[in-house]
Amino acid sequence: MAATACFIIVSRNDIPIYEAEVGSATKREDAAQLHQFILHAALDIVQDLAWTTSAMFLKAIDRFNDLVVSVYVTAGHILYICELSSISGDSVDDYGGRGAGGLMIVNSGSCMILLNPLYLPGSRIASSHFDTKVRALARKYL
Amino acid sequence: MEPDVSIETSCMIRIAVLPIGTVPPTLLRDYHSMLLRHQTIPLAAISPFYTEHQKSPFTNQPWDSGSLWFKFVLGGAPASPWEDFQSNRKILAVIGICHCPSSPDLDSVIEQFNASCKGYNSAHVKRCFAFSPCDSHLEDGEKKGDNLILFPPADRQTQEIHLLTMMQDIAASLLMEFEKSVLKAESAGTILKTPLDSQASLSSEEVIKAKKRRLARAQKTIGDYCLLAGSPVDANAHYTTALDLARLTTDYFWHAGALEGSVCALLVDRMGQKDAVIEEEVKYRYNNVILHYRKSFIQDNAQRVSPLSFELEATLKLARFLCRQCDIDIGKRDIASGQSDVLKKRIKREMAKDVVDLLTSAADGAKSLIDASDRLILYIEVARLFGTLGYERKAAFFSRQVAQLYLQQENRSAAICAMQVLAMTTKAYRVQSRASISKHPHSNKETGSCHADGGRMHHQSVVSLFESQWSTLQMVVLREILLSAVRACDPLAAWSAAARLLRSYYPLITPAGQNGLASALSNSADRLPSGTRCADPALPFVRSFQAMPNPPFRLYSFPFHSSQMDIIKRNPGREDWWTGSAPSGPFIYTPFSKGEPNDNSKQELIWIVGEPVQVLVELANPCGFDLRVDSIYLSIHSGNFDAFPISVNLPPNSSKVITLSGIPTSVGVVIIPGCTVHCFGVITEHLFKDVDNLLHGAAQGLVLSDPFRCCGSVKLKNVSVPNISVVPPLPLLVSHVVGGDGAIILYEGEIRDVWISLANAGTVPVEQAHISLSGKNQDSVTSIAYETLNSALPLKPGAEVTIPVTLKAWQLGPVDHETAAGKSASGMGRHLKDGSSPSLLIHYAGPLTDAGDQSVVPPGRRLVLPLQICVLQGLSFVKARLLSMEIPAHVGEKLPRPVSVETNSTKGTVVSENKMDNLMKIDPFRGSWGLRFLELELSNPTDVMFEISVSVQLENSSSENSRSVDKDATEYGYPKTRIDREYSARVLIPLEHFKLPILDGTFFMKDLQSDGTTSGKSSGFSEKNTKAELNASIKNLISRIKVRWQSGRNSSGELNIKNAIQAALQTSVMDVLLPDPLTFGFRLVGSNSEQAARFDLPKESSVSEGSVLAHNMTPMEVLVRNNTKEMIKMSLSIACRDVAGENCTEGTKATVLWAGSLNEITMEAPPLQESKHGFSLYFLVPGEYTLVAVAVIDGANDILRARAKTGSPDEPICCRGPPFHVCVTGTS
Repeated sequence: MAATACFIIVSRNDIPIYEAEVGSATKREDAAQLHQFILHAALDIVQDLAWTTSAMFLKAIDRFNDLVVSVYVTAGHILYICELSSISGDSVDDYGGRGAGGLMIVNSGSCMILLNPLYLPGSRIASSHFDTKVRALARKYL
Repeated sequence: MEPDVSIETSCMIRIAVLPIGTVPPTLLRDYHSMLLRHQTIPLAAISPFYTEHQKSPFTNQPWDSGSLWFKFVLGGAPASPWEDFQSNRKILAVIGICHCPSSPDLDSVIEQFNASCKGYNSAHVKRCFAFSPCDSHLEDGEKKGDNLILFPPADRQTQEIHLLTMMQDIAASLLMEFEKSVLKAESAGTILKTPLDSQASLSSEEVIKAKKRRLARAQKTIGDYCLLAGSPVDANAHYTTALDLARLTTDYFWHAGALEGSVCALLVDRMGQKDAVIEEEVKYRYNNVILHYRKSFIQDNAQRVSPLSFELEATLKLARFLCRQCDIDIGKRDIASGQSDVLKKRIKREMAKDVVDLLTSAADGAKSLIDASDRLILYIEVARLFGTLGYERKAAFFSRQVAQLYLQQENRSAAICAMQVLAMTTKAYRVQSRASISKHPHSNKETGSCHADGGRMHHQSVVSLFESQWSTLQMVVLREILLSAVRACDPLAAWSAAARLLRSYYPLITPAGQNGLASALSNSADRLPSGTRCADPALPFVRSFQAMPNPPFRLYSFPFHSSQMDIIKRNPGREDWWTGSAPSGPFIYTPFSKGEPNDNSKQELIWIVGEPVQVLVELANPCGFDLRVDSIYLSIHSGNFDAFPISVNLPPNSSKVITLSGIPTSVGVVIIPGCTVHCFGVITEHLFKDVDNLLHGAAQGLVLSDPFRCCGSVKLKNVSVPNISVVPPLPLLVSHVVGGDGAIILYEGEIRDVWISLANAGTVPVEQAHISLSGKNQDSVTSIAYETLNSALPLKPGAEVTIPVTLKAWQLGPVDHETAAGKSASGMGRHLKDGSSPSLLIHYAGPLTDAGDQSVVPPGRRLVLPLQICVLQGLSFVKARLLSMEIPAHVGEKLPRPVSVETNSTKGTVVSENKMDNLMKIDPFRGSWGLRFLELELSNPTDVMFEISVSVQLENSSSENSRSVDKDATEYGYPKTRIDREYSARVLIPLEHFKLPILDGTFFMKDLQSDGTTSGKSSGFSEKNTKAELNASIKNLISRIKVRWQSGRNSSGELNIKNAIQAALQTSVMDVLLPDPLTFGFRLVGSNSEQAARFDLPKESSVSEGSVLAHNMTPMEVLVRNNTKEMIKMSLSIACRDVAGENCTEGTKATVLWAGSLNEITMEAPPLQESKHGFSLYFLVPGEYTLVAVAVIDGANDILRARAKTGSPDEPICCRGPPFHVCVTGTS
């Protein structure tokens, strides 16, 4: 089972517009940084892979040590990147189904924000409502 | 593990390159690079040096096409424990490099070389190359033996040929040695061991097993040598045998090794051929290799030694092979059909997936690696391969891992490595130092285009400026660079990293952290030589600041005087050369000028050589520490500008607008990209463009914070730096008001002369000059001495001219009064409202033609000299009204002295009698002493005293009743009235001499028409004419009244009360101006001359003295004068009243007896003539009596009606004369 996860929404032009550190594990600063570094590096792979498949949910697309990166790519190339640590072998598959579901719900939430005419593409999502929603979903699906 | 491995590594002969003696590093690098040209030696070239001592074991050696490969290991390497397993790991030759001039003793060189060679047991060939020997070296070098090879000084080409020969010799020697080794390996019973199986003492079973395996291992080793000798076919044969044998003995490790060798042999054999089949084969075999290496993993000795590194190496080799294949693939297809980028990308993508999988699994292996340096190499290799794949971010990630491993080693060289590796990641993380960006031509171009856009950026381009803003990562990377730079003792890199960190991420750093960075900056600067420059700016943020809307750059010349000096294009063909410069024409918007670059963003600014200029910039320090900017000045690269540095202190979280100045030194274009700042001990250049972009991003919500707004600075529109061109020197007029440059404080209506001094501070004479006015209240400048200026031209440099200008302060409006009141309440007492003062525009220009260039007319200039007039509220006008009074005239010869009716305004003042007389006039048409005063009520709200003097100007020619005035006097002065502060007073202005002689119908035309009756007498033209005449005479009247005031010694002025007078007069202008139709007069018909009572000559009348005696019949006559042009019929009545106002002639108690008719006297008065009616009175009682004549006009015409203001034609028109006093004295 996942102990901790880092969740980032990356807009086009590789601008992170939302970041959340979810999960039960105690937060360590260097670990949090590592998560972000891994997610940032995974963008390279996502960018290539997203064009080779019709699937939107790219499960376990990249990994570093025991940290696994999964991505939900929207049609508009906004990436929902989730990185989980401490996944045991079988729960990756298990996670795949649930994670995709969770990310789709997050997508519906973020669509509302992105469709807001006052939202400027590329700027950060600062809505606290969205944040609580994401965290609640994380508890539910992870 | 070894760095930079590939499948072909197996066929490379390792040669250690050792410096012998002291070799300067640059030369060593140079010699090494010469060696590197000879990495591949074709077998065909070796053959001259090769002698076949015995039958060669390499039966299938391709002498015509094959070659030997060298791998030069600079500095050598320690022997690897895996040498037996892979022969290519052995150092098979040693080349010493000696630089003769620095180590002249050849003997010791040889000694040193031999000593160095001792470490390389497996080296078959040893040569020492001595470069640049002198003649003596060459002489005795011959004796030193084969190992020492002297390269006589020659040109590079000759040396290279020499070197090539030597390398071919070495290659041949090695080939012969390989033959020997192969023969030895085949025959001798040497046991080949690896660290994997040399652990414990061998049990008997193990010994047997090892013996069995020996054959396979020997075959594999022979295969290795065959590969090294450039004979892949032989190698393949041996490897095949080895594979079979190893499989039998389950020697997985050696099996994998042999397999690896066979792949290499395959590739070498098919060198240069590209074939999908081969690729598949290689992939298949290498996966096998990896599998077998994995199989060879033995749990027992996993702690000590593991084949994992071989597995990882094999993975990396395969990955590198696939990468290279991918590139070749793309290149080939490109040549074939010119495929588009999309297709290229697709090929790469397909290939990349395999490579990424391999690399990911290789990276996974890192944590199982025992040796830290192995992990380091692994990460380096993974990063490099990701880099070749184009995965920048992946490469950066692993590079950072490498840097972290380096940082774990606590030594300086590791820290330097870490720093360098991190510096490579900065591009992917977008935290590059500007130094590295500017080297990159592409990014340079990009920024250039941004600049050309002139600040107007689309959202997309703004976003692209801030893309990949992973602030957390960027901060971490920068912090690590800072840390490694500090450890590596590279103060400049540390400074740069700290500067980037502080500048870009200050909002995310705690104040303590900011302080830490600040101290890091200053610590680094302490180690740097003073005057060090760094490409990355730290604090403060600098932006070009627009203080005034236009222009943002102000010129100044003298420190105390700042005025605008515009440069005006000169139109040489016209007298008024400045006119064409400003947009002219009736339209505000001219369609023809639309295409011109008229917008503010592209302003053109002209600077003049030698004249100091100022640029306003704003600095911001958003951090929590005091920032001391040691010096800041404009950074201008064009070299024609001398900038003056200044130093600034910025408190925490503050911003400051400062003026930076400088002098343009030569003609050309000046571009101000930013400022050069010396702060934290290092000189940096701060570009305005960067901050503009940042602010733009902040406005869009893409950047964390706006440094200026968080410092409390006002938000401003982006100001783009205008295009500035420097022109040759022009004349420069400097103006100041003589007597101080402060505001000229004037009371309302005050008239004052000011002197404006104009000095030419330029180096060119002023040849043309023109003064004009602009702005509000232009009429307050009543005169300018143009002649003075013109006569002073040409004004030489340094010359000065003083021009007197007369000012008259304007009236304050009601709003001004309020503000003035408000200000005076707050103690200011004065107010200077912007824009209400007029400005003097002085257009001036130098010589028409420049000395150098005849065709170009140098521009002129404009000096805008705002007259800072501060108008204070002066005397305020409360109201005006017309007062009229009549003083009855005495019937008789003696008239009362006029002095007795002086008004209070003249009381106590000493005025000449003559003038006093003029105040009182007998109204010649009314026959009484008539006084009409315009009473002005004035209040003095100020805190000074005012003195009012009224004067009436008389115009001799135009006055209709000039006969009654003193013709010599042109002006009447009246005594002064003094109004103390906060008092009000009334000033009386006598209105006299202003009657028309004839009551004419034309004055009433308007009234008649409005009544609906038509006169039919006058045409419209004459109507208008006479109306205008009347108006003109009113105006004339008003304009002749001047109310002057004086306050203190210097202030004097005139009250502007024309409107007030006009308003006051408007209602009663008819009464004032028009004579009555009939005037009456009484006189005694007695002994005295008739003249005594002729009242139309006041001077004479003043001497007449007459009285009436009681109980005497007194003959009198009444004079009726007709002032109209028509005959008037009337019935006249005369009444006599006593002091109490009782009628004395009628009733029971009549005290006056009379003879002749007093009532209902029918008279006719011819036009403009007098009629007389005589009568006599007998006064019974002495005392004062009053005689009044009343006439009722019969058959009055329209004019009379209009004059009497009667409505109905039936109403009788009554004319009443003024009362006449009769003083009756008693006889007893």
